[in-house]
Amino acid sequence: MQNITVVETHGLTKRFGSRVLAVDSVAMSVRRGEVYGFLGPNGAGKTTTLRMLVGLIRPTAGTATVAGHAPGAPAGLARIGSLIEAPGFFPYLSGRENLRVVADLAEIDHKRVEQVLEIVELSSRAHRKFGTYSTGMKQRLGVAAALLKDPELLILDEPTNGLDPQGMAEMRRLIKEVGQGDRTVLLSSHLLGEVEQICDRVGVISNGRLVKQSSVQELLGEEGVLVRAQPIDQAEAVLTRMFGPQAVTRQDGALHLKTKPEHAVDINRELIVAGVTVSELRPFERSLEEVFFQLTGERQGS
Amino acid sequence: MISVIKADLRKHWRRPAFRVGAALVALLVAVNYGIGLAELIWPSIAPQSGVDVDILYPANFVNNATGAAGLSSAIAMIVGALMAGSDYSWGTLKTALTQRAGRLTTVAGRIAAYLLYTALLALIILAMGVAGSVVVATYQSHPISWPAAIDIAKGFGALWLVLSVSGTLGIALGTLFRQPAAAVGAGLIYGLALQVLIVRFIAGINDGQLKWLANLFEGENSQALTRSFGGAATGDITPERAVLVLLAYVAIYVAATAALVRQRDAT
Repeated sequence: MQNITVVETHGLTKRFGSRVLAVDSVAMSVRRGEVYGFLGPNGAGKTTTLRMLVGLIRPTAGTATVAGHAPGAPAGLARIGSLIEAPGFFPYLSGRENLRVVADLAEIDHKRVEQVLEIVELSSRAHRKFGTYSTGMKQRLGVAAALLKDPELLILDEPTNGLDPQGMAEMRRLIKEVGQGDRTVLLSSHLLGEVEQICDRVGVISNGRLVKQSSVQELLGEEGVLVRAQPIDQAEAVLTRMFGPQAVTRQDGALHLKTKPEHAVDINRELIVAGVTVSELRPFERSLEEVFFQLTGERQGS
Repeated sequence: MISVIKADLRKHWRRPAFRVGAALVALLVAVNYGIGLAELIWPSIAPQSGVDVDILYPANFVNNATGAAGLSSAIAMIVGALMAGSDYSWGTLKTALTQRAGRLTTVAGRIAAYLLYTALLALIILAMGVAGSVVVATYQSHPISWPAAIDIAKGFGALWLVLSVSGTLGIALGTLFRQPAAAVGAGLIYGLALQVLIVRFIAGINDGQLKWLANLFEGENSQALTRSFGGAATGDITPERAVLVLLAYVAIYVAATAALVRQRDAT
């Protein structure tokens, strides 16, 4: 991965009418060669942001540079492959014919059509009309179209949407494959496991605002210690005295401490001295899901 | 722009609406000659019709075939509206706009490809006119003679222009409504009813003082242009003036389409 920025936005904002603020001052940067996960709940502003990056919609304010050009500029588009929302193809044409139409538009040799069909494993069904394709096949054809230009930047908007578990696994494998080397992949998703498995860095968007941007390790890597003890109020008082109120949170009947696991011995000793019974004391690693819910203020299952 | 035209021709070639549109236009002319021939073969089936056999001969095929312009232009409007409207409902406009060409180049290429289709429709009308007139002449044992090449060229040009006006109107409506059904409905209501009523109303105001305004409507000019081939009265509208007005309509519809695609978000 290199530190050359392929996508950079400053204060990118999109309003629909006077009431809907879909994207609010987003400042994101995607580096060459990385797989960047753009995470957010449904309606957070992911698709709107991606649409602005490829020039389908114009920002109300702010700027963006994509592959060295303004969004929608022909020179930039020539270096970008994208699949935004549902794949847009002609239902009466076969998969192959649809790709040939896209290849004509992109000024690409038709030989490349067969290559991308091989990559997405659709060659044997490329003669069938697009209208008869399953959701998974449609998504794969969409990825094939995005790959036609052999782009240096691939923008995929929720590519596993509507796929069954097997289809999702295949799509993840495909994205990992195409994301190797110098190619940059910007992937939006609300599926946390998917992003955790595929991405090098993530940006988390909530209510139109980019609330966090970092590497996956960095995001998960805030170390901590989990304590279950009785009486819990007394335990909380002891730990607050030791680490300060900011470091202690109570969650699901346990205390989460923002501190290094090496402090576990001290914690255990102080709690025992204070007459607290400790039933569980261990380092804990946060899942991306926990981090996501914390950042977006969303509750699991809501 | 060539790449956009190439892509559009590739997809139009296989699109059922384009094929059905072409077949319907051919059928219109064939039915016209078929009815004329039937009246010649069986004069008793429509004794009052008084078919003028001369108009059915090859020497007059341009005059006769241009009579199909009215309904053919409705077909051109429908196909144009389907083409532009379904680009939104299928999401194919987004696919096109994220390739290599800019928005205006994409619009220009698409309209250019569609104008090639209306040229094909004009050729089909004339070709069916040739075929129908030869059948009639052969049945009547009438010697075959053809109009001057310049008249055939003028007939083709007039048909192409009339069909292109309706076609670009359909494209503009499909782009405006971002879906085909409303665009087709609005286009048909305007072309077949609303325009006629407005023209009639305007022409009747103050004993025709505003007739000049009525003469600016595309329907009036299309009729004047196609009727001019048969030597029929075209009112105040000369063929030359009709051509200018119709060209202006094409330019307006193309500009409106380009402005809509350029200014609006592609959602």
